[in-house]
Amino acid sequence: MEETAGIYFFSYSGALGLILLGVFAMVTSRHIIRIILGLMLLEAGVNLFLIIIGYRANAIAPIIVEGQNAAMVDPIPQALVLTAIVIGVAVQALALALVIKTYKAYGTLDTKELAQRIAEESGTHVIDGIPTEEKQV
Amino acid sequence: MTLLSGLIFTIGLGLLLIVVIKSLIFEQVLTGGIGSIILEQAPNDVGTANIVSSVLLAYRGLDTLGELTVLFVAATAVGLVLGQPRPDAPRDPDAGFILRSAADLLFPFMIILGAYIILHGHLTPGGGFQGGAILAAAFFIPILASPSSPLNHKVSSLVEGLAGSAFILIGLLALFDKGYFLAPLLGTGEVGELFSAGSLPLLYLAVGLKVGAELAGLLARLHETEV
Amino acid sequence: MNAIWLVILPILGAFLLPLVYRQNTRVGTWIGPFILGLSLILAFGLWGDIAANGVQTILMGGFPAPVGIVFYVDHLALLFVIMLVLGTLVLWLGKEKGNIQEETLLLLIVAGGSGLVLSGDLFNIYVFYEIVAVASYGLAASRGSYAASLRFLILGALGSSLLLLGIALIYAITGTLNLAHLATHPEILQGTVGLTAFALILIGLGVKAELFPVNTWVPEVYTTASARISALLGGLISKMALLVILRLLVLLYDTSAAHLLLLTLGVLGVITGELAAMRATHLRQVLAYSSIGQLGLVAIAFSIPGPAGIIAGIALALHHALVKPALFMLTKAWGKQLSHLAGASQSLLTTILFLVLALSLIGIPPLPGFWAKFLLLKGALATNIAAYQMVITVVLIATVIETIYFMRIVRVMFNTKPPPIKAPALQELVPALVFVTLLFISVLNLGTIGKSLEIVATSAADKSIYMNFLPL
Repeated sequence: MEETAGIYFFSYSGALGLILLGVFAMVTSRHIIRIILGLMLLEAGVNLFLIIIGYRANAIAPIIVEGQNAAMVDPIPQALVLTAIVIGVAVQALALALVIKTYKAYGTLDTKELAQRIAEESGTHVIDGIPTEEKQV
Repeated sequence: MTLLSGLIFTIGLGLLLIVVIKSLIFEQVLTGGIGSIILEQAPNDVGTANIVSSVLLAYRGLDTLGELTVLFVAATAVGLVLGQPRPDAPRDPDAGFILRSAADLLFPFMIILGAYIILHGHLTPGGGFQGGAILAAAFFIPILASPSSPLNHKVSSLVEGLAGSAFILIGLLALFDKGYFLAPLLGTGEVGELFSAGSLPLLYLAVGLKVGAELAGLLARLHETEV
Repeated sequence: MNAIWLVILPILGAFLLPLVYRQNTRVGTWIGPFILGLSLILAFGLWGDIAANGVQTILMGGFPAPVGIVFYVDHLALLFVIMLVLGTLVLWLGKEKGNIQEETLLLLIVAGGSGLVLSGDLFNIYVFYEIVAVASYGLAASRGSYAASLRFLILGALGSSLLLLGIALIYAITGTLNLAHLATHPEILQGTVGLTAFALILIGLGVKAELFPVNTWVPEVYTTASARISALLGGLISKMALLVILRLLVLLYDTSAAHLLLLTLGVLGVITGELAAMRATHLRQVLAYSSIGQLGLVAIAFSIPGPAGIIAGIALALHHALVKPALFMLTKAWGKQLSHLAGASQSLLTTILFLVLALSLIGIPPLPGFWAKFLLLKGALATNIAAYQMVITVVLIATVIETIYFMRIVRVMFNTKPPPIKAPALQELVPALVFVTLLFISVLNLGTIGKSLEIVATSAADKSIYMNFLPL
């Protein structure tokens, strides 16, 4: 039991580190490419977390081999992670396509600056999510 | 300001998750969840040696259909965002002789490897997604080597549409035959044989073709766009 | 009849749509409306089926409940599916020009939304939620507003990852994903881990449901995307995510901590949304912030324990699903600065429609908006919990603020000094007219609707009906 707790501790710490690093990068960076890299870290951390949940001590991969009777790890998290990875790839591809178009249209990838530009285009001024009075022209 | 609030949010989330993980490790976790039931039943219910693929395609087949749909949504959205490239758009020059020949040489081997992984998905690690990714790479590497001969998007979207519909049609056949959408058909066969697990390898073939066409189309779209 | 068709038909249609378009454009343009119409007929058929034979469960692949994926088809889920399909069908009428990709995404968002409310499996809910999310990022960018869509995507992807983490935590402590199976052991989820999971899921689903801290995308997307997409996302899709939150509250988290968490987010959403709407200078932004406020009201209603809250929540959600898309479609031609609206009262029909919709949103009797807000107040009063009694003040203040900003718009409209703006063509008003007609039909049948809503809510609030289907 002691041994398993050690394995769990190290692997959960790894997942936690990836998740926190990803979240930190996403909420503090202003450059969109860095935010997307943070997103990838976050997704990797969550996927690792899912895989660890399925871990059982001294168990093998869930594939039936003749003459093999060892316990198997939980197959469900593995299937879930496969699904989650593909979904993550899809979202990242769309994000990169949008990055290409945004850069072409605005010449910047700074989120704050983009928010200002969006507000200016629609004729309003939004600062930190709060619309302010229209500028006198 | 952003840095500070972001730091506070991250530290808060971190402390919360540390408490959660502590209780996950040291407290009694409920055993006998659905995972162990599946480990017991899967060989008789579905008949795959690789139990993960019976979870993916039989027990949670609807998730896999949803996942194919997400990929399709993303490909459609990328098409909508990037639009059609202009036919007279400047292309990168072709790579040198060595790169082009290597790409041509790799092509058949990668197709064979991809097909092998798809068709043995119910026996060994691998399956439609992994094999499909290799198929997509097989079509994408020649494009990287010689950008002047682009991917035929008409063919790729045809494969995409038909493979996706084939997955649903197999599911609907099961609905009419057994009364349940995506129920396993054609018996289980002998566990561990190539021709076993009933309709599951057919589903994996559809998944592999769809993923391959989708990813190749996506990558080619991104590559064709001039920045 | 099988409810799986409600999800399969639009997906199949979307897969084949590009191929059909290439062969024959005329056939292609009719595929979307045809499939939505078929789904609508199916949904009404199922409604009758359930009224006669009780709630249905549909096993995917024929595997029994906790192991395989299950769809729960009850009146509440069907009501929201009908709302989504009917709303999308009406919005289809206001389409500007044929765009294959946009039509494909619309079909897929309908499939995802229907799956989201029907599914009874946590991870399956995540997959359908992602279909809805990715489709809405694509649709938000359909008018060339790439930057707004990109900022939306970043927030949405952060939310989705946290949602997945929450689901992973629930699986870690219970070993199951099936909602009914989880509902048999609600005490496991009351600890720190369970409540953390709920908070993470709330953040994730809250992005689409426009809940308080994660709704910064709303004003940006609604001002830059086309009116039709704003109407779809704000009026219809947001309710699907709220319904999933309601399901989780009823089945898994029937405790005061979870209810109070949702209540707090709802109250904060109402206050911030309405205050921001008052300061907004752009018509679309007013509508966007008022949508945040209205969805906050729905969240408050859903956080009231018992059937009374569910009735109020459904009434508010249905009312908003009729009024907000109508307002977006009606003001499509005017989507500008408020000060540019002067002289809009020249077009009599538009003015009358706008007045009716705004008054209903504020809650003036006899319009249905009054009835929905009245149900909310009644439900909150009946709880005898101090927090809910306080909510009444918030709702009343929000109503006053709504009156202020809508009447300000009306005042500008009747101002004729600057040259009047061009009146929208009758053809453009068709979707708004349809929604208003539905609104009037509901006014005339308030009694019947109220009774059937009560039946829907009582069966939805009873979790034993769900657990009956577990072969344990």
